[in-house]
Amino acid sequence: MISLRQNCTLYNHRLYRVQCPVAMVSSRRSSTSGHFRRCGWKPPLLFLIFLAAATANASTLIPEKPAALLNKYCLDCHDSDTKKGEVDLDIETIDWAAPHDLDMWESVLKVNVEGLMPPPKKPQPTEEEREIISKWLDKQLLNHTPVGGTLPRRLNQAEYQRTIRTLFSLPSFELPPGFPEDSEFHGFDNVGEGLLLSPPLLEAYSNMAREVADSIYPQPKPPAKSTKRSAGPEDLVISFSAATIKDGAMRLASRCETMMRSCTWPSRIEITASGIYRVTVETSTFKPKNDEAMILEVRARDIIASDRERAPKFPLLKEIPVTSETPDSVTFEAKLYEGQTLLFRWLNAEMDHEAKPLSTQMKAWFEKDPRFLAAWQHAVYPAGVKKGPRTTHLRGRNGWDIVKKHWNDPELDLSEATMDSLTTTKLLSVFNSTQGTFNLADALCHYYFENGPSLEIHSIAVEGPLEIIDGPKEIRCAALQKRLAESDKGDLSVEDYARQMLTHFLPQAFRRPVDKMTVEKYLEIAREHWSEGHTFEEGMHLLIRNILISPRFLYRALDEETMDDFDLATRLSYFLTQGPPDATLVDLAQRNRLNPSWVLRRESERLLPKKATHQFIKSFTGQWLDTDKLPEIMPDPKFNFTPYYIDLARKEIEYNFLEMIQKNRPMTDFIDPDFTHTSPLFAKNIYGFEVEGSDPKSGKAYRDFKRIELPRGSRTGGLLGQSAIMMATANGVDTQPVLRGVWMLENILGSPPPPPPKDVPALTPDTRGSTTPRDLLAAHTQDSSCASCHVKIDPIGFVLENYDPVGRWREKWPDSGIPIDPAGTLPDGTALKDVVDLKHWLVENIDEFSQCLAEKLIIYATGRVPNYTEKKEIEKIVIDNRVNGTNGFRDLIVALIDSKTFRTH
Amino acid sequence: MNRNLHITKDRRHFLKSAAAMIALPTLESFGAVEPVSSGPRNFVGIGCYLGWHQNAFFPKQTGKNYEIPTTLTPLADYKEDFTVFSGLDHRSTNGHDSWSNFLCGNSPKSYSADQMIADQIGQDTRFPSIQLTAGKGEGSKGSNKAISFTQQGIPLPMIQRPSVLYKQLFITKADRARTEYLIQSGRSSLDNVVDDAKRLQKSLPAPDRNKLDEYFDSVRAVEKRMARQLIALNDPVPEPDYKLPAYDPVTPNLQMEAETIMYDLMTLAIETESTRVISFLLDGLGQVFSINGRPLGSGYHGLSHHGNDPAMIRDLVAIETAHMHCFSGFIKQLKEKKTATGKSLLEDTIVLLGTGMGDASRHSNRNLPTLVAGGGFTHQGHTAVDPTKSDSPLLGDLCITMMQKLGMEVDHFSNATRNLNQLFS
Repeated sequence: MISLRQNCTLYNHRLYRVQCPVAMVSSRRSSTSGHFRRCGWKPPLLFLIFLAAATANASTLIPEKPAALLNKYCLDCHDSDTKKGEVDLDIETIDWAAPHDLDMWESVLKVNVEGLMPPPKKPQPTEEEREIISKWLDKQLLNHTPVGGTLPRRLNQAEYQRTIRTLFSLPSFELPPGFPEDSEFHGFDNVGEGLLLSPPLLEAYSNMAREVADSIYPQPKPPAKSTKRSAGPEDLVISFSAATIKDGAMRLASRCETMMRSCTWPSRIEITASGIYRVTVETSTFKPKNDEAMILEVRARDIIASDRERAPKFPLLKEIPVTSETPDSVTFEAKLYEGQTLLFRWLNAEMDHEAKPLSTQMKAWFEKDPRFLAAWQHAVYPAGVKKGPRTTHLRGRNGWDIVKKHWNDPELDLSEATMDSLTTTKLLSVFNSTQGTFNLADALCHYYFENGPSLEIHSIAVEGPLEIIDGPKEIRCAALQKRLAESDKGDLSVEDYARQMLTHFLPQAFRRPVDKMTVEKYLEIAREHWSEGHTFEEGMHLLIRNILISPRFLYRALDEETMDDFDLATRLSYFLTQGPPDATLVDLAQRNRLNPSWVLRRESERLLPKKATHQFIKSFTGQWLDTDKLPEIMPDPKFNFTPYYIDLARKEIEYNFLEMIQKNRPMTDFIDPDFTHTSPLFAKNIYGFEVEGSDPKSGKAYRDFKRIELPRGSRTGGLLGQSAIMMATANGVDTQPVLRGVWMLENILGSPPPPPPKDVPALTPDTRGSTTPRDLLAAHTQDSSCASCHVKIDPIGFVLENYDPVGRWREKWPDSGIPIDPAGTLPDGTALKDVVDLKHWLVENIDEFSQCLAEKLIIYATGRVPNYTEKKEIEKIVIDNRVNGTNGFRDLIVALIDSKTFRTH
Repeated sequence: MNRNLHITKDRRHFLKSAAAMIALPTLESFGAVEPVSSGPRNFVGIGCYLGWHQNAFFPKQTGKNYEIPTTLTPLADYKEDFTVFSGLDHRSTNGHDSWSNFLCGNSPKSYSADQMIADQIGQDTRFPSIQLTAGKGEGSKGSNKAISFTQQGIPLPMIQRPSVLYKQLFITKADRARTEYLIQSGRSSLDNVVDDAKRLQKSLPAPDRNKLDEYFDSVRAVEKRMARQLIALNDPVPEPDYKLPAYDPVTPNLQMEAETIMYDLMTLAIETESTRVISFLLDGLGQVFSINGRPLGSGYHGLSHHGNDPAMIRDLVAIETAHMHCFSGFIKQLKEKKTATGKSLLEDTIVLLGTGMGDASRHSNRNLPTLVAGGGFTHQGHTAVDPTKSDSPLLGDLCITMMQKLGMEVDHFSNATRNLNQLFS
């Protein structure tokens, strides 16, 4: 389908950045150079200058020995004239305070240690010479990169939403669609530097603040006038076969609890002011079988509630016994709240839609009336029992008309109308099923509408409000007001109550103690407002609006240089829960007890997720592994990979990540575990194996997630080859080995290649002789300017070529049908024949992966990219965890939280 | 001189034709004069959740001289003003979930055509786009039913209550006072927050201090905006003389009533240039309609699963014809009302009516009944395309055609890459 020509363009660096769904992956590479994704707003220039000036006066001369070596091996290309790759090492002093210099010398150290420079064709330094450079740079870098430096972190969307929910007990608070997006920086949406505040965003915050204030101190409504509204049968709702109009009355037939199957309600009466109302209902019986009263249940439903709700969910107002065959009125008073209307159900009707009572009733009926039985048999089995039941056309009155036609047919065939016939058994089982509930019962209702017994409603009237009362909305507001101030207003003066609210609430909103001056400053806002003649409520409303646009609320990590217990509590809490500190953390911080290592570690363990659906797991894995991009990829229909599968693919990552944390699994289990979590359905359709003991016919059990044991060293299990990751690294249509390679280097190995140089044109391979992507990319390794990176990228990319764009295993390239050759050689000379070899290599070199993941966790937790010194601390923690510990993942997270890097602003 | 006269005359005309209008002083706000020869400026997309029964929707003959099919009878007077298409679809998978691809193209729940249009041409009006629904009667929570999706695939909430739409479109005096109060009080108290923030800023290390400049820059920008908003509040807002019923017809059986009111308000929204883009979902579940005083034999959803039972099809078509009756009222108003340069609103508006459900009885998403009205197209009666050919036109091609007609530079949409201009000439 896809021509070679189209394929080639995908290897064009510029093009894949804008066209492919994985553009995010590639654009992230440029994030190292300060690329702000999704955000057109640039930080003020001043800010960058200040950043540079912050640690000024840190220039040092390059000592003699390294200077000589640099001169001998580097300056041929990296002198001030040539500046190859924009790298100029032709200088005498280094300004360690300049971020550019710091970054450059850090990469000099890296290429020196890894032996990537000088290029192979140039003279190479000796081991000793390399060590001179390394030692000098290591020392200087450690000296000149102090731990810390997180910029104030604006709450991102998820954090903001959760913070409002927690702070105000508004569990259903949602940001509206179109709320400005956060920009992503270094792969995460919670990094201080990337979290810009733009005017539209501040305006959006201000709108949200108003919405929150409205839900606590709502705008007073004009007083409601008492009115009388009435409704006749034509103003009542007919839902499915729940009711019908006959002889000028609305008739009911079923006692089923599901509203849309049994109830009726007025369509034009909606209560707009909570209050006491006088309700009048005019009813009668239609052909009752006996003297027993028919009970009409009157409830108060929310008019916008789903009609699928069950009636008993709504408050009962009255049970009206109906005994008269002529219309008779009952009047009563009831509380009705804003947004409600009345709901009517015949509580003791003979029939019910539910499968069980329905089939029981029908059985008894059929025993007494073979003609009735035969009529249903012919209606449900028009082509005989062998052809199976047909019920889709038996809906409502149409359905009853069909049954009735048979019933009235003098020639009705009664040959099967015995209780022991197969047709009867089958028919009863249809009644005892959802088809019975959804179709047959609806048809049966019409028997009752025509023949009775049925309950009739002639009219209703609602008069009021006779008296205004607090509805759920008002009660909720009062509770929220009390919660904010931790007390009722009682006898307190307006000002004292506002002060009480501020004293209690500001520390919660600002996540740290608040001094008296700040309280008074805010109180002044309300005081001024009241002095202009505004009401108490308006003053409180205004306070809430102001608190929620204060930088003290909108930003965290806003503080003096040292981190106190409150900051630590906030950092820990937002890291692991995306929300503000809970009562326990606040209490510890207030008592200054969070700081000790053992307490911080204990609290970390407490907050670590216990469910795969936990927000930390979703947010972190979604961003680290790009699985939050999956819904945008939309695989080509040829893969038959539905949105449901995308969900399952993402779930796999999350369930496995949870087990890694909960069971403190060794880091190597990220790569080559002896277990996985998946759905048997997914395993079968994507990985091509049947999960032992699973039954494709078992429906839900086949779809639900299961923990499965795996042999180690197989190609199934672990991050590599997991569907979600193979998808995130492809574009939904075809695979691109280069993108996969780059992605793996960045997210699994932690050594992202630099972005492709600007002056190197995209490859335009001569495709005449090439038949596979490998042929096309051969040019990468032939051109030396490409080779230095592609020697790292390509072998990893190609070894994963056995996975198609959704992670299914394949042996041949599509279209051409040529067998895939996944083999390659890693830069250290390790030969790879397939993905299992790569897994093996990663297990052997697990620290590289652990370091990569640890650095990602630190970025996510601290909101800054670790600098040289911090990376060194992380490295120490990673190695220590493996050598002196279990190499467990939970231990690693906890140790990272207890690091100086985490504990520093 | 001449020009002024011209405008005055047109405004009078405008006044007269606007039956549901209008207090005089507000006219200034409609003064924007569009170039006389311009193409259509508005788009309306209407989708019917349970589909349109094909046999009653598609004419038997192609071309202009077709016999009006049952469902379209309410539109008989406007035959010249629309084109019926058969054979178009998005080549999407079958099933209920694919319903939402009506405006989305091949992939359900992706960037919908109306939102693409709104993002390009809707930005200068008070509402870049408006999403509406009628007949829902279901709690909106949890159900992801939507007709419009943002570029990020976020389903946009739909307004179900005419009173809410009315309030948003035509801000009342009380609302205006409230808005003014909120802006005023917000602005005057901002100083205190800023003072406190400055005090905080002083205590911070230099890089943090500078990061916080973003905040102060934004505050200043927002303050300016508030000032502009306050001035804008005094701008005349259309005050139509339209009487809403005392209740909102939100219960599902009042669907047709809701549709009629929504169409009235949609006309007003377009006429007052409050928006250029509207989408409207005609929903449906188990409600039993009474048509001409006769309760139908089954609920709407039940009828849509007619299994080819003639009685059920008859009732289903009766509902769909009732939808079309409401729709014809919309076309009628658009045709009668004029823009400032004297062309009809219908000529100025592309109206797409269709569904993502080709045959609800089988949940098939093939051969979607589609109709395009107005928009200055040369309408062709019934245009039938053969959906069995691999290169035959797609519904997405029609979307491209409409976007281009609206002046957008677009050459692909979802799985479509062509336009259908040849079919309109």
